[in-house]
Amino acid sequence: MATVTAPLPGARVENEGQRIRFADLLRWSVDHKVIGLQYFVTSLFFFVVGGGLVMLVRWELLTPALDLTGSGTTYNQLFSIHGTVMIFLFIIPLWGAFGNYLLPLMLGAKDMAFPWLNAFAFWLIPPAGVLMILGWFVGQTEAGWTSYPPLSTLFSGDGQTLWAISLHLLGLSSILGAINFIVTIRNMRPAGMGYFQMPLLAWAILAQAIIIVMATPFLAGALTLLILDRVAGTSFFDPANGGDVLLWQNVFWFYSHPAVYIMVLPGFGVISEVLSIHSRKPIFGYRAIALSSLAIALVGFTVWAHHMFTSLQPELRIPFMITSMIIAVPTGIKVFSWLGTIWAGKIRFTSAMLFALGFLSMFVIGGISGVMLAAVPFDIHVHDTYFVVSHLHFVLYGGSVFAAYAAIYHWFPKMTGRMLDERLGKIHFWITYPAFFFTFFPMHLLGMLGMPRRVAVYAPEYQALNVLVSISSFILGVSTFIALYNMVRSLKVGRVAGPNPWRALTLEWTTSSPPPPHNFDGDPVPFKNPYGFGTEAAHLYLEAIESHSGPSAPPPAVTTALPEPAPSGD
Amino acid sequence: MDQPKTANGRGGTSLIWIIVAGLAIIVGGVAIALLTPYVLPTVGSAEAQQVDDLFRFMLALGGMIFLLVQGAILFSVIRFRVRKNDYSDGPPIQGNTTLEFIWTVIPAIIVVVITIYAYTVYTNIRAEKPNEQEVAGLGQRFAWTFTYAVPAEAVPATVDQSRIPDEVQTVLDTEGQVTFSSPQLHTWVGQPMHVLLESEDVNHAFWIPGMRVKQDLLPGRVTDIRFTPIEAGVYRIVCAELCGGGHGDMAGQVTAKGELIGAWLVVHQDEETYLREFWSPEAASVLNPPEDPVERGRALIQNYPCSGCHRLSDLGWTSVTGPSLDGIGSRTQRLSATGAASIEDYVHTSLREPAQYVVPGYSPLMPQFNDSPDEANYMPEDQLEAIVAYLSTQ
Repeated sequence: MATVTAPLPGARVENEGQRIRFADLLRWSVDHKVIGLQYFVTSLFFFVVGGGLVMLVRWELLTPALDLTGSGTTYNQLFSIHGTVMIFLFIIPLWGAFGNYLLPLMLGAKDMAFPWLNAFAFWLIPPAGVLMILGWFVGQTEAGWTSYPPLSTLFSGDGQTLWAISLHLLGLSSILGAINFIVTIRNMRPAGMGYFQMPLLAWAILAQAIIIVMATPFLAGALTLLILDRVAGTSFFDPANGGDVLLWQNVFWFYSHPAVYIMVLPGFGVISEVLSIHSRKPIFGYRAIALSSLAIALVGFTVWAHHMFTSLQPELRIPFMITSMIIAVPTGIKVFSWLGTIWAGKIRFTSAMLFALGFLSMFVIGGISGVMLAAVPFDIHVHDTYFVVSHLHFVLYGGSVFAAYAAIYHWFPKMTGRMLDERLGKIHFWITYPAFFFTFFPMHLLGMLGMPRRVAVYAPEYQALNVLVSISSFILGVSTFIALYNMVRSLKVGRVAGPNPWRALTLEWTTSSPPPPHNFDGDPVPFKNPYGFGTEAAHLYLEAIESHSGPSAPPPAVTTALPEPAPSGD
Repeated sequence: MDQPKTANGRGGTSLIWIIVAGLAIIVGGVAIALLTPYVLPTVGSAEAQQVDDLFRFMLALGGMIFLLVQGAILFSVIRFRVRKNDYSDGPPIQGNTTLEFIWTVIPAIIVVVITIYAYTVYTNIRAEKPNEQEVAGLGQRFAWTFTYAVPAEAVPATVDQSRIPDEVQTVLDTEGQVTFSSPQLHTWVGQPMHVLLESEDVNHAFWIPGMRVKQDLLPGRVTDIRFTPIEAGVYRIVCAELCGGGHGDMAGQVTAKGELIGAWLVVHQDEETYLREFWSPEAASVLNPPEDPVERGRALIQNYPCSGCHRLSDLGWTSVTGPSLDGIGSRTQRLSATGAASIEDYVHTSLREPAQYVVPGYSPLMPQFNDSPDEANYMPEDQLEAIVAYLSTQ
């Protein structure tokens, strides 16, 4: 138990010339850290774009009549682009950011398996984003992010074609990135790290990458048919000429349901890391959490038609109810394992931990409403209503975005060498958390009471709840800028982080912050259990790191009694 | 496996607390489920009762899980928050097989129970009922049209046989029935409904929140939906599948004066009231159309989907997708723009060939109303003339 396996030292003194500058992000680079930051900045840019669009949607919905947008089609374009941007240009690339930046570091590797491919995958995103935005000016996309034909083929403007081409590029980027992750995890783990010694974020990325590689080609197929119907006169989706509108729904959801897990699985990985490290306690049930990610990935491919309970042939609905219910079990295992992790721990209320706890308490609501939606007779009532809008935002905002914020507060020090301001972080959390709840929870009620989604005009009796939702959403929108301001400000004036500010046991914390271009001097040796807190061995391991790489900077919440860390260059 | 070094959650006194917390969670879940009637619309159908019972059951279980998880989080952050100057780690507990088994099996049992319950409710809802009233429902951008049959043998007594127009009599004789259309769906308490749904253009979804039933309309297919109203009243019909810019206008509306516009389900007290207040007068207006073409046009235009896009104050229409019909009878500047000889001529062409002239600022979205019953959007010439006569007075 007391044998110490010390890692080889990371570069202790940072070389000024090796720091990544903003200008470096505008150039082609095959360094996974530059690419990770490129993903990061790009996705945050589109987070602001997508958020801005939905602020207009919520402004329109302050009154029951059509006023702000002036035409229903313009309104439809707003939420169509909001949904597409948030999914394909914000959340998925944001996980690309953390995956690219952290995975090689967590595996003690010098880069991803295919550095050039990695850069290529990133550089597909900016042109795709430009195409998506240009679509605004060439004819309105009015069919929602799901783009059901025939609305998307026979009616929507030329922006719909650009939308499809843009998604094609993003899908390709996603597939290439995922192949890279799988190969990196398969081949580049260090000696002594089997699959079951990997950090759980690596497990989550592996499960996500498997889904991407298996599912995204179906999106590509559907998009190709859609483009052909729009520009080449085919009629795959036109029943007047022998096509079938359900074909799109089946193929689209065969991708887009697994895509929900593409968007949330890395978040699960983040939560496992953050909850364990910030409560100084081993993750509870490592194998169950790791394997439930794979179970979710697998079962996730059999549930797609629960998005079609009101259009699918009636006799096919029950089998999809059964599979959709089954997938609740592995998700439940994760939630309970996380509770087991913080139970009896030493919980530190860092901003990262607050967002991870926020995730836990909000995601469970999305899980409960998910089971309700899987029950066919109830789903038939609330399908395509605000209940669904609420459910999906509890999963993707309360889930993915809260996890992303936890990841930002947790790994920003590693990525930049600077701590984020914890006071601003806490202000950010305590505004975001209630604003999120009051934006999305009342939507459950709106949906059940009778308000369909995607409408610009609604019955006057729903106005009171809509005003509550809109005002909360404006506060939520503003709270985002606290985080952005904190990041920009901390780059300049943030406290120097040191190599291991959270005293974590995974390999990314054994090198300097930010790491040198080659990541590690020599091959680092991983600790046998990435979450082995509370053991003598872990204590000695951390001491060994500190003796090599300089003192870890403890979290600011508890630093007052400790000396400042030695400046490690700036 | 390592055991916790502290007595948290274990031992004699904590067993009592576990029981107390468990009871509180169960009572709390049941209390949350009591909110069911306040978060759902009035129960209007037999199906709604079953769906609400299912929801109440799921809300109780969901409420318990909610309280369990939030309670555990709240308890942890208070009880296990780190004290000042405590830099130690928590106990090295890696897991607990028994506990993990329990929280895998209990949720699994819960979802199995919900699945079986939901399956029985679903089969009940879908089951064919005796003596169903069959109505055809047509969805198109952005209005609903329901078609009712008037069989030759059941012509209402109020109809003057001698005043049935020849072309209507011919239909009655050859097909055995005539039909009339309405934007409203009428039935009565206790009458099982079977609505056959078709779409003229894109996907729509037929939803009556008060009945808790919904079904998508898919171009190229006929889909159907069943429900049995149990409470007299009016229930809004809503389109729930995105169908374009006027999607929100496809729901029933109430005018400032309190009149119902567009798609509503009207459930009459009994069959007699249904016949007296809806079916007989509507059937009579087809068999004995009003002499005055303006009056006839005013009645007829409400059977077509025009209200989905146009504004017309006389009838309380407020949609803005298409140009306003208010004052169309005096809009003579359109004559020079289109080359039409008269307003009647212009309105006539606008219905038969709407693409010929599109009002600046609007898109060519209007369907063409054809004079052949074999084509989509059939509008007989005599009905068109009456509608033109009516619109020209606006």
